Parts: sequence; structure tokens; C-alpha cells
Amino acid sequence: MTLAGTDPSTYLPIFLMLLAAVTFAVGTVVATTVIGPRRDGKNKGSTYESGMTPVATARKRFNVRFYLIAVVFLVFDIEVVFLYPWASTFANLEPGSEQALTWLARILFFLFTTVVAYLYGFRKGVFRFD
Amino acid sequence: MTERLAYLWPELSLFVATCVVMVLGLSPSRETRRLCAWVSAIGLLVAAGLAANAPIDSEALLPHLMPFAKLLIALVGLVLLMLLAGTVDRDYEAEIASGRAVFNALRSNRAEFYSFFLFSLTGLMLTASAESLIWLFLALELTSLPTYVMVTISTRGTQSQEAGVKYFFLGALGAAFFLYGFALIYGGTGATHFADIAGIIATEGMNPILTLGMILGLIGVSFKIAAVPMHFYTPDVYQGAAASVSAMLAFVPKTAGFLAIIVLCALMGWRYGPGGESLPEAVRMLLWISAALTMTVGNTLALRQRSVKRLLAYSSIAHSGYMLVGVVAGPGSDPARFTTNGIAAVLFYLLCYGFMNVGAFAVLAALRRPDGTEADDIDDIRGLCHTQPLLGWSMVLCALSLLGMPPLLGFIGKFGLFTSAISAGEIVLVVILGLNSAVAAAYYLRLVVTPYLERPPERDAMGVQRVAIPSRPIVAVVSACSVVVLVLAAQFLVTRSAIAGRVLEARPPASADARP
Amino acid sequence: MLLTLASDAPAGAAPWWVMLIPALAMLGVVLCTLFAIMGVKSKLPAYATVGCLGLACALAFAMLLGYEDASGVVKAWQWFDISWGEGHGQTFSAIFGFYIDRLTILWMLFVTSLGTLIGLYASEYMSHDQGPGYCRFFMAFNLFVFSMSCLVMGANMLMLYLGWEGVGLCSYLLIGYFYKKPSAVAAGKKAFIVNRIGDLGLALGVYLTFVHFGTIEYAELFAGDKLQGYLSDVAHGHFEHIPMTAQMIPLLLTVGAIGKSAQLPLYVWLPDAMEGPTPVSALIHAATMVTAGVYLIARAYPLFQVSQFALPAVAWIGALTAFLAATIGMAQFDIKRIMAYSTVSQLGYMFAGLGVMTSIGAAAHVFTHAFFKALLFLCCGAVMHGFAGQLDLRKLSGLAKMKGWGIVSITMLIGCLNLVGFPVITSGYWSKDIILAEAFVRPSTGLVGWLLLITAGLTAYYTFRVFFRVFVGPVEYHPGEELHAHDDHAHGHAHDHGHGNVPAHGHAPNDAHDEAHGHFHPHAPGWAINTVLLILAILTFVAIPLVALSHGGWVGEMVHGSTAHFEAAHAEGGSHGSVWLAGLDPHKVMYYISGVVGVLGIVVAWALHYRGRREAAHAPAADAFKQAIGAVQRWAEHKWYVDELYDFLFRNPLWVLSQVFRYVDMLLVDGLVNTAGWLPSALGGRLRRGQHGLLQGYAGSMAGGLALFVVVVLLLVSKSA
Repeated sequence: MTLAGTDPSTYLPIFLMLLAAVTFAVGTVVATTVIGPRRDGKNKGSTYESGMTPVATARKRFNVRFYLIAVVFLVFDIEVVFLYPWASTFANLEPGSEQALTWLARILFFLFTTVVAYLYGFRKGVFRFD
Repeated sequence: MTERLAYLWPELSLFVATCVVMVLGLSPSRETRRLCAWVSAIGLLVAAGLAANAPIDSEALLPHLMPFAKLLIALVGLVLLMLLAGTVDRDYEAEIASGRAVFNALRSNRAEFYSFFLFSLTGLMLTASAESLIWLFLALELTSLPTYVMVTISTRGTQSQEAGVKYFFLGALGAAFFLYGFALIYGGTGATHFADIAGIIATEGMNPILTLGMILGLIGVSFKIAAVPMHFYTPDVYQGAAASVSAMLAFVPKTAGFLAIIVLCALMGWRYGPGGESLPEAVRMLLWISAALTMTVGNTLALRQRSVKRLLAYSSIAHSGYMLVGVVAGPGSDPARFTTNGIAAVLFYLLCYGFMNVGAFAVLAALRRPDGTEADDIDDIRGLCHTQPLLGWSMVLCALSLLGMPPLLGFIGKFGLFTSAISAGEIVLVVILGLNSAVAAAYYLRLVVTPYLERPPERDAMGVQRVAIPSRPIVAVVSACSVVVLVLAAQFLVTRSAIAGRVLEARPPASADARP
Repeated sequence: MLLTLASDAPAGAAPWWVMLIPALAMLGVVLCTLFAIMGVKSKLPAYATVGCLGLACALAFAMLLGYEDASGVVKAWQWFDISWGEGHGQTFSAIFGFYIDRLTILWMLFVTSLGTLIGLYASEYMSHDQGPGYCRFFMAFNLFVFSMSCLVMGANMLMLYLGWEGVGLCSYLLIGYFYKKPSAVAAGKKAFIVNRIGDLGLALGVYLTFVHFGTIEYAELFAGDKLQGYLSDVAHGHFEHIPMTAQMIPLLLTVGAIGKSAQLPLYVWLPDAMEGPTPVSALIHAATMVTAGVYLIARAYPLFQVSQFALPAVAWIGALTAFLAATIGMAQFDIKRIMAYSTVSQLGYMFAGLGVMTSIGAAAHVFTHAFFKALLFLCCGAVMHGFAGQLDLRKLSGLAKMKGWGIVSITMLIGCLNLVGFPVITSGYWSKDIILAEAFVRPSTGLVGWLLLITAGLTAYYTFRVFFRVFVGPVEYHPGEELHAHDDHAHGHAHDHGHGNVPAHGHAPNDAHDEAHGHFHPHAPGWAINTVLLILAILTFVAIPLVALSHGGWVGEMVHGSTAHFEAAHAEGGSHGSVWLAGLDPHKVMYYISGVVGVLGIVVAWALHYRGRREAAHAPAADAFKQAIGAVQRWAEHKWYVDELYDFLFRNPLWVLSQVFRYVDMLLVDGLVNTAGWLPSALGGRLRRGQHGLLQGYAGSMAGGLALFVVVVLLLVSKSA
């Protein structure tokens, strides 16, 4: 079986979705430009309209911990991304069957890796804010 | 799927060791932190033991490859581990020990260094057990990604950071190439499993998309082995990194690359075509040109180097070219015979290269200049046989072996490449290989003459000294000894690699029609 | 126990434990290396050596007792297995293993036993050098025994070659042991380089054997149809059926043998090799290594039989060497050097023995010579050790009368008698006699026999010249130049003051001389040296029954059961039954003649060098005789100017040639090579511009290279398709 042999019509839903997405994105932008009223002014041009006045340069260095937090967040984020579909599928498996056990073992292995990542972060001092 | 697990025990043991090391290395207790190297060593030993007893995967294209490759990886990995020990955090730990500093997990690099090394080896082993394109891609990347970090943190200087950034970006580019190639292979066959792809190619032959995919895939993977045209990063990165890490770069990604290249070629088979002549013409041509250019570029560029690390980097390029000759030659008519089996020659050469190259880098890693930097310039090893006899002679032996001087290990390796290429009828390539070996003598002999025949610099000029890490001279001496001693076991090793290099003929799927 | 072990082994296979012999020697090497690394400063390396070699010696005896089969092979591992085709001679295989037959056992017996004894001797002899040098000495010593056992026990010619080069290396290392002494370094180089010529011959012989016979394993080679066919041709006298290649092999092997065994024209290295420590001279350059050539010929005897010229050539080389070396030995003054020339001369006897087809006689002479020559060297070594390196026979006299030198003198006398071949009571007499008798028996080798007989007389003269000058006569001595080395342990021995006795003999003491050596005390040898000398002296007597009984006795049996006894029918048939010398059994005749010649030589030596001699430096009768023969004596003293001749014939022309080549090389070849070297280098220089270190540039080049590759490959493919 090659890709060339696949019936293109099976891709129709994807094309429809793409079309819908593009239409929505372009449509909203065009619509606001056309419909929206426009009143420029000093406050309007500031960085945060009706917020605080910005101080100092935008190229300030952030504390490295912010990045670390972001990375740790990613770990858990990925964990959730995997866990959710797994959980929704696992329910369909026959309880106690060999297949179910395999699946369980796999997700446990995956969780083990995230625990290691967590431990690593913990040891590295990511969760300390002093 | 789960039965596949039986093949993966070495990887698993390495992975477990990685996890343990990652946590241990950040322990506030100094004694616990020092366990990192030992735990890694135990992990590697266990992996070696498991690999030696690994089952034969009769379904794979190279059924005997896995035990051989994994054992090789684990053993060379052990030597590399000894060499890598003490690369990072040495000064920092000394400060802590003397009470001038307190342990700060964020400043410490030890955990990352060891665990990334093990990660890289895990990836390398996974490359050997890959059974689908996706697996292969992930394994290759798992091999490479940690090395980017290791290069960067290997020294405290900016050079290694520059090297790391270059390596990372160019590596990403290379990965993009072969990922694109893999995608095209999938596009051309509709399969990601090697068995399926091989079956389809055996029945339907190549198609343009597939050919393009293979070419892109092979060239992309060439980045890992530092072959033309993906070799540019090599000297900069090898020179920028610490010598110990460079030694690793010359073995680990190269082995991964060659395993990938061999598997990709095995998908098409060296019996492609109605007459069972060779690889598909485009692929053969590609590898042929790449081999010839790689050897020549590597050797000619090495000639004028004064930096030994750069010289070895170019020599690493050249050796990739040599080994590509074996890939072009293929497994030959009688795979059991080492002299005609190019794949066996490549596998055996990887082993030889692993030892002699590590030895040469270990000599550099074991020396430091008076200002504390690593020895690198050719002047640093001048007269080394007189000032540091063990290291000097290790350098001499390893250089002679890299040159392929009989009766050292490198000669036996090169011998297999020559004979397999001759029996495959690649006479022109053999001639190029021979000429290149002669050119290579010019710079390898400098590595022999400079330490041995030339006088060391005057005593008051304060030449290089041995670093206070005892494992490094040991690695140098062990590698140099194995270059000599393994020759005695050559028959055994050669037989093993001939078995490992046995390539199965692709079997068409039962459902598919016979090829016209 | 060992007997049962041996009988467990299948027929045709040697028991595994014979491998322990080289392994033990190797263990000695490793131990001594470790001691060197650990910086051991005691006699530990010597004792480790003696222990290892003693065990090896015990195993050699076990081999003798427990090993009944005619021959057997034990394989350690497959060493080489290379094939480049299916046909005959297209597979080169060699095992790392050992071929054991009686010849092997015979050789190993004296190699290991002498190794042990001389190791013990050296423990005392080298004691002034304790420390790294001591370790180095014993490491090389063990390595020598290891190499020698590979040479002798090896299962194929490659093993033999390995051992051959190994013993050559050890010889080089040990001759140059005193590496700060220029003459020692030069002697080491000379030995090594001269041996290279021989080694080339051996290597070519081995290649040719493989090319012609398709194997170099002894077991396959000697039992092979091809060689057996040749031998039956020879037995029927059809030399013309044998291809030239096969006839070339023994000649090439002979070249190897004459290099290692110091025969004409390659003997020049051996006398110089005496620069090494005396135990080394005794073990390597007298008893064992130099018999490797004899071993090679004996081992490959079947190969030698198939050539018309090989054995006669060997006989002539041997006889001429024996004669020439004896004449040189007569005129030398350095007693160690005299012994060296006598070694060359005796090796000539062995070669002649092989050449006249009495491998038994040759082996018997190797066996007896090993013991008595080792004994002689060790006695010389004891003298040298005791008198601060003094070896000049004009500066030593009357040692036998000095306190503590009794054992040395007696054992020296025993050694000398053996070397002379004093009738009946010495083993040397019996072994030499077999060779002499056989030389007269063989048709067309009569002249060889006469040469050997004359040599026997000369041998007796120069041997006892040493004895009468150094060991008897008036007591007088002048120490050598190595005083410094003996300062620390010159005390605690019983001392004679040689110069104190001088006035008693009517000589005015030379005051200045006396002062210079006023504090010198010769020290008599200690227990280790004396014990070894005594054991060796006893062994020379023990050897008598082993070689004396009919046709070589026990040694004869040993040789009979080995490859050395492949004597073709035509050789055997004509011999003992029918040929008579003046109507008598030649062996019996030779018993008397050689005995008389030997005694005559001793008498001449006595008359010239003992009778009427009042001081060490001058013997009136000998000096008068010297005057009488004039130039001949001078020539002999200068070794017939052979070294100078070689310089003139080979070294100088080679030097000139090398200068010519040097200029050709510099101007022409270098020019070419430089161009050839410059090309890749220049190319590299060009290419190097691509290595500018810029990330974007690299990425661009990679992408560009990729595109170029794809295009080129696709173009090429579409073109060819």
C-alpha cells in the first residue's frame, strides 16, 4: 500500500476543518478592520492601555528560575497530554487482561520518567524561592 | 509489542542507571555525588552482560547485529566513562572540599554530564535495535541531543559554548534533513516498519519518492558520521569541546550513524536489481561519492593542522570515509567470510576505531599545560615519550594503529575494508582508499615522530604535565594496549563481526505479487 | 599424577600442561615488570625468576617422564586463519600452539634447567645493580626463556619465527644491558643487525615453505604427501624429480641458521656480544640461543634431505667456521672472548655434524656443550666479578692457589677438559667423537673430517692456554676498571693480597701501580655462584652416560623419536655396516685419534704457557714461539681482519652508496615527494578556507552540499539509466 493509492476523498473532513479555521481567522481580522471604530491618541499608543506606565527597557534579563519553572511546567504538561488520552482509552480495555496490564505497565513507566524529572527538578532547587 | 522488550534489557538497565545518576549527582553529600561514575559503570557493566546474552532477532534485517553492537557500545562506553570521569565540576568540587564554596545544585553539572552520557549510549543502543523509521529517528536524536549539552558544559571556557551552539544548530539541520528523508520514505512506501519497507522494496522496487527519501535520509545521517557534505562542524566542535568529550563524539554519534546507514541500505539490499548486483544505482553512487570525498577531504585538511584535536577531528572524517567503503561493498556473496563482508568490516572497524581513537584523545585529555588548559598543540606532545613515557608510547601506538600499520589493530580493520571492496569489484574506490591511506601517513607519522623522535622542550620552559585524574592515563594505556593485544584475539573478533554483519535477504510479504 | 594426565590426552595431542612452560616464563616477565613498577630494590626479581623457571624446568622433566607419544600438538588458540580462495595453498592458517616431540623435550630440558641455574647465578652476579636495572635484567631474562620456548616448542614455523625474533630481541636488550657503555651499545646493534641478514633468510624460507607446501604446521608439513613423496624420491636417488623451489627452502633456512648460530660469514657478532653481563653470555650466547640454528636444521631435517646441496653446504660452513674460530681463539687475550670464539667453533662442530647427517651427534654435542660451555662462562664470570672486570689472561695468574677460589678452579678445569674432549671421562669427548667419526665415514666429506680433527687439537691448545695462564702458576693479579662497583661489598670476604706475594716471586713491585690498587680486595664467589658451578660440573659428568653409549645413547633415542631422524635410506644404508677406516670401526679409531690429539694440544699449552712462567704477563716459551710465527700470530690476534674486511667490502661501499642515494633522495625523490606532498597540502589549504568557523556558512554549505549531491546523483543515475 502506498500513499498514492489512497482515496483522496477520505481527507475531505480535514480539508473542511482547515478551511473553517482559515476562514474564521481571516474573517475576524477583516471584520474588525472594517467594522471597528478607530480613535488614536497618546494613551492609545502606550504599551498597556489603561495599565501601568512601563519603566526601563524590555530587554531586561529574567531570573533563570522563570525558565526552570517553564521547563518543569512542560514536564507536567506533557504528562497530562499523554495521560488524558490514555485514561480515556484504558477504560475500554478488558479489566485484568494481558493487554490491560501491558498498558498499565507502559503508563507506569512513563510516570516513572516524569517522577525522575520531578525529582531532578526538586534536587536542582527549582521549587525553592528564596 | 511487549515481546520486543526482551531485546531492550540493556537499554533499560542504562536508563535506570541514568535516572539514578541524575538524582544522585545533585545530592548535597559529597560522597553520594562521587557515586555517579560508579553507578554509571555498574549500569554499563550490567548492560554489557545483558547485551552479551541478548537473544537473536531472527525477524530483523541484521539478525545478529544487536548483541554485537550493544556489547561493543557498552564496552567502549566503559572506556569512555573512565575517560569522561572528572571532566566537569572538578575545580568546583575541590572548592567545596576545601570549604571555599557551598554546594549549589544549580552550579553543579555532574549529574547532567553523566546522565546525558548514559542517555546518549541508551540512544545508541536503541539505534541498534530500531525496527521502524520513527524509532530510528528518535533513537538517533536521543543519541545526539545529550551530546550537544555535554559539549557545552565540558569546559568552563567560551570555546566549548560556541562549539555546543554550533553543534546544536547544525545537528538540528542534519536531523531535519534525515527526518524529511524518512518522511519521504514513508511517503514512497506507506510503511514505517523496516520489515514492511524492505518487503515493499523487494516486490515493487524503488520509486522516485523513495529514492529521494533514501538520499536525503543517508545524507542527513551523514551528519552523525561527519561525512561530506555534513562534516563542517567536526573540527570546530572537536576542538572546542574537552578532549574527553571529543573522544566520545568521535565514537558515539559515528556508531549511531553507521548503524542507521547500514539499516537504511539493508532496506534496499545489496542484491537490488534483477542481476543481484548491488544497491540501487542512485544510492550506491551517493555512497561512493561520499566515501571518496570524505576520505580525501578529511585527509587533506588534516595535513596542515597544528592542533592535535583538529587533526584527530579531520582524521575522524577520513575514517568515516574508509568505513563508507565497507558499506558500499556490502555483505558480499558469503557473509560468513570476513574478508568479503563489507558490513562485518565496518562493524569491526568501529571497534578498532573506538579503541585507537579514544586512546589518542585520552593522551590529550591526560595532559595539561602549565596554565591549566588542555594539551592541544602539536608542540605540547613534543618529546612526550621522554617526559611521559606511558602517555607518549600510547600516542605512538594509537597513531600507528590509526594509520593502519601492521600488525596493529587498525591494520586488521583496514584489511577487511580493502578485501571486501576488492571482492565487491569497487577497484577505483580501493585505489582511492589506498592513496588516502598513504596521504594519511604524513600526518599520523607526525603524531609518532613528534613524541618519539623529537626532544622535549627545555625543562625551564615548563612543558605539559599529567593531570591529577588517574583514570585518564589508564584509559590511554589500556587503549594502546588493546590496540596491540586485541590483535591476538583478532580471529575471534573478526568471526563475531562476520556473524553480526550477516544481512538477511528481504522477504516479500506473502500477500504481495511476485516481482516481475 | 603427571603420567596419568599424559595418558588421558588423545593420541597425537600433547597434554595441555606443556603450555605452562612458556606461561611460567611469561609470568616471570610480568612479575619482574611489576617489581620494576613497584620499585623493588631487593633480590626479589631474581628469586621470582628462579621460582618460575624452576617450575618450568620441573615441567620439562615431567614432559620427559610423562610423555610417551612420538609427537603431539597442543593448541592454545587459532592464531591466523585467512583464506582468499578455496584452492590449495589459499588458506593461511597457523595455530598458537606447541609441537612436542623428543627433540623438543631434549632442548627444553637444558633450556629450562640452565635458565634456572644461571638465573640463580645471576642473582648474585648482578647484585651490584639491584633496583630498576636488576628488574630489567630479569625481565629480559624471562622474556628470553619465553621466546626460546616458543622457538623450540612452537607448532609451526610462525611460532618458531616469533621465538626467533623474540630471542634476538632479548639478546639485543641484554648485550646492551650496560647501555651507558658505548661498546656494549655498539655490540648490541651489531648483533641485531647481523642477525637481520639471517632472519631475512629464515623469513624467506618460511614464505617459500608455505608457498610450496601450503602449510607451515610441522605436523602437516612432515606428514604431508608432498614431502613424503620427495623423500622417497631421494631414497631412490632421484634428486632431479624434486623442484628447485623445494631445494631452495633448506638453503634459505640455512641462512637463517648461520645468522643465529654465528657461523661463517655471519659469526662476527657473537664475540662482541660478550659485552653483555656474563650470565647472559652463558645462557644466551653459549648454551641456548645460539643453538637455535642447530635446532632449526634438526627440526627441518626432512626439508634439508630433499636438497642436494643443503647438507654439504652446512657441513662445509660448520667445518670452516670451527677451524677459523679456533685459530682466532688461539691468539686472543680476553678469556671471555676466547670462550666466545670457542663457542663459535663448537657450533661449527654441530653444524658439521648435521651436515654429515649425524643429527644425533649434533644434538648430543648441543646437549653436552650447553652444560660445559655454560660452566666455562660462569667460571669466567666469577673471575670477572671477583677481579673488578679483569679478563686479560696476561694480568691474572695462579687463582687456584688463592683462598676461596678452589671451586671455581676445579670446575673450570672440568669445563676445560670437556671442551677439549679429554678422553673417556668427559662428556664433550663422546659427543664430539660421534661427529668426527661420522665426518670421516661419509663419502666426500673426508676433508671436513680433517678440518675438524685439526680444530680439535687447536681447541685443546687455546683452552688450556687459558687454564695454565690464569689458574695455575705464580699468584699475581691486577684488578680491572670496575672498582667502583665493588666498593660496597668487598668486605667480609676472605682476601688475599696478590701484590703482597709478588716480591716472593722475585718481582719488584711497581709502587705507583701498587698504590693505585692498594685497596683492592678480590672477592671470592659466594654460595649462589659456587653452588651453580658445582651443579653444572656434576651435570657434565651426568651427561656422559646419556651420550656415550652406542651411537649417542639416550640422546640418540631422543633424536630417533623426532623429525630430526628422517634420515633417508640412502644415507643410513651406506654407513655403519660397510664403511671402515683402515680396516677398523671408524668410531673406535676416532676414540683414540681424537683423544691423542686432545692430549697433545694440552701438552703444547703446558709447554708454552706453564713451564718456566714466572709472572702473569709473560711466558717465555710462548713469547718465543710468537716471535717465530710473526705475522700469522698478529693476523690471528686481529681476527684475520674479518671485521675490517667486512667494513671494506660491505660497510664502506654501502656507506658510499647510501651517500649517493641520499643526494638522489634529497634532490630527486624529495622533490617529487614534496610535490606530491605539497599537492594535498595545498588542496587542504584551499579547502581550509571553507572551515571559517561561521555557523551560517556551515549551515549554508551543508544545505548546498546536500542539494549538489542530490542533483549530481540524480544526473548520474539518469545518465546511466
